[in-house]
Amino acid sequence: MSTAMTKVVQSSRTSRIAGLVAIVLILALLSAAGWADRGTLSLLMEFFCYLALAEMWNLLAGFAGIVSLGQQAFLGLGGYALFFAALRLGWNPLEAFLLAGVAGAIIAVPSALVVFRLHGAYLAIGTWVLAEVLRLIFSEVPSLGAGSGISLPVKFAKSVHLGGMHRDAVLYLAALALALITILASYLLLRSQRGLALTAIRDNELGARSSGVRIFSVKLMVFAATGLGTGFTGALLYLAKLRISPLAAFDVNWTSYMIFMVVIGGVGTLEGPIVGTLVYFILRQYLADLGSWYLIILGVVAVTVMLRLPMGIWGTVARKYDISLFPTRRRVLFDQDKPTTPGVAASSAETTA
Amino acid sequence: MPTRREFVKASTAAALWAVGCRKKTSANRVVKIGYVGPFSGSLAAFTEPDAFVLGRIRRAIAGGLVINGQLHPVEIIGKDSRSDPNRAAEVASELIQRSNVDILVTAHTPETVSPVSDQAEINEVPCVTTDAPWQPYFFGRGGKADEGFDWTYHFFWGADQLVDVYTNMWDTVETNRVVGALWGNDNDGNAFGDPVTGFPPVFAARGFKLVDSGRFQLDINDFSSQIGAFKRANVEILTGVLPPPGFATFWSQAAQQGFRPKVVTIAKALLFPAAVESIGPRGDKLTTEVWWSPHHPFRSTLTGQNAAELCADYMRETAKPWTPPLGFKHALFDVAIDVLKRVKDIDSPESIIEAVRATNTSTVVGQVAWRGKPVRNVCTTPLVGGQWVRGEDGRYSLKIVNNKHAEEIPVETGLQPIDYSGA
Repeated sequence: MSTAMTKVVQSSRTSRIAGLVAIVLILALLSAAGWADRGTLSLLMEFFCYLALAEMWNLLAGFAGIVSLGQQAFLGLGGYALFFAALRLGWNPLEAFLLAGVAGAIIAVPSALVVFRLHGAYLAIGTWVLAEVLRLIFSEVPSLGAGSGISLPVKFAKSVHLGGMHRDAVLYLAALALALITILASYLLLRSQRGLALTAIRDNELGARSSGVRIFSVKLMVFAATGLGTGFTGALLYLAKLRISPLAAFDVNWTSYMIFMVVIGGVGTLEGPIVGTLVYFILRQYLADLGSWYLIILGVVAVTVMLRLPMGIWGTVARKYDISLFPTRRRVLFDQDKPTTPGVAASSAETTA
Repeated sequence: MPTRREFVKASTAAALWAVGCRKKTSANRVVKIGYVGPFSGSLAAFTEPDAFVLGRIRRAIAGGLVINGQLHPVEIIGKDSRSDPNRAAEVASELIQRSNVDILVTAHTPETVSPVSDQAEINEVPCVTTDAPWQPYFFGRGGKADEGFDWTYHFFWGADQLVDVYTNMWDTVETNRVVGALWGNDNDGNAFGDPVTGFPPVFAARGFKLVDSGRFQLDINDFSSQIGAFKRANVEILTGVLPPPGFATFWSQAAQQGFRPKVVTIAKALLFPAAVESIGPRGDKLTTEVWWSPHHPFRSTLTGQNAAELCADYMRETAKPWTPPLGFKHALFDVAIDVLKRVKDIDSPESIIEAVRATNTSTVVGQVAWRGKPVRNVCTTPLVGGQWVRGEDGRYSLKIVNNKHAEEIPVETGLQPIDYSGA
């Protein structure tokens, strides 16, 4: 085969149609702030927060190969930063919210210096330890309620508004923006040269290093960016919950839910977490009243999907029909209009994503 | 010729009627009570009597309630907090925003009550709660004594009453008056150990010397340092607030390390008979506060039953021993129904909360009325001291041993120090 005839592309007809559909969907979701009732808005707000969390965990584990069990560290930190700014600094909600994200990113950098010395399962435990350390530290801060936790003043929560819009609508728009920015940023990152570097690291760190990828700086960038985003999400979630305590904020279940959504949907694709978050919310909506059985069912679903569909729901569908709504993989075209099958591509030039 | 005053009255009434018509139609609509409880998870034992209590309440209101002359069916919607404060806030907001409940009720520990109350306060939904000491409920939510909350009301006892009951009990036993404290780093431990609003100032005033081992993390399983500190200070009275597994661990380590206090008075861990039985013979003569028992001489407005009759029915129908949450859960719905009966306009949350404020009703846990003491949103219920006594068959029963704090509740026997002669 002659290399002169080949061409590397990322987009496809499906992805261009998907782009159009996405724009229409986004416009519809934006307009929901005007017409949906408060119950729907707060459910959607939670949905987009969880989606953002799932996408960020997916970026870490599915693309950068950083399997973190400690993302609740940044979530809790974001929540606590918001409460600290509101209660002790007297800041307004927007300023407090910005501080929360920044706090997540700032703590991510020194944490990365420590946990990146570990690999694989050890790194997972290391990140969990980080979250536990933060939990213990916040349990010893009396001005933030120590182990008891603390409530956000009603006045502060009520001051969340935007041009006459109700608090629920503002929180919903913020969550929607957070989810969209997360997906868009991941998409752009993965299509960039750094994205290629990331997947190279995930697939074979030694190989990537020998090809000249600056592993540490690429991983650090992703870790700090997800720290920022998770911090923002934590602030938003606890602005809605109104009360924070160390056990709730640094609960490892936050990360369990992220993993559940990503694994169910399909790790290593941008579409997977969307499917996974939908599945999670549908299960929760209909089964949450079953108490402990609900958690058992979640576990059974997770195990079944892992055994039967190791690539997740989206991963399986995408492979079967060769579709990709947010194409981040590089596909090699040998003829102008004939994309290769993935198997052939893998043997030639493709970097799987 | 109508006077100006009459004209204003009539036009206001017409305006109000017009406003009323625009809202959800009020005639015979279903009135909804939202209830959040820890049905599963670590606090599930608290909701064991729920099926029984809710069954009774639903039967009592099966024909609906007459609210301001209109008959309304009443629906109680229960949601599980899974003993998780995150989830408690989520389901409370769901009940408020999706189910549009008219009144919210919840109970069992600050971890359930506080997040639910916070959601009610910001969404301006009337909320009645119980079963959490009132200091963490009120101060832990940022409450200020002169302001209080607008939408959330609570009835239960507080740390101030608890320390009074404890010291009353200890006064009846010959000891060196040295008290060792096991207060964890959680809502209850921080509230009880608070140097200003907690136990320490009362201990000092009543002549007890305090040995405080510091706020520990509740998941620790090695109490050697606390036990060492208590032994060095020659502690003869032990107090604290711990979950049942934590206390069981502490108490077996105390035995191994030869720590033998004469009186042990623990909150939370010794609430349920099953928890005491799991300690074995060393559960004998342990003491705790009693928030409710068949001996409490109070009657429910809704069913007309008193505490003894309610307990007897419960034990007959479920074949389980009575527990204090039984009485408080019953009282919680008693109050909610009483409030709804007195509401002037069921479609107005303001009118409902007005009815909450005006409450003065008898329940199986005592009279519930918010009269501004100790703070606007809290009504306290009586508290006495009790001791677990092990029978010949190894079964435990809780005897009321001190009623100095609430003399209307009769004492069954005197407090006995722990007997180590067999150990």
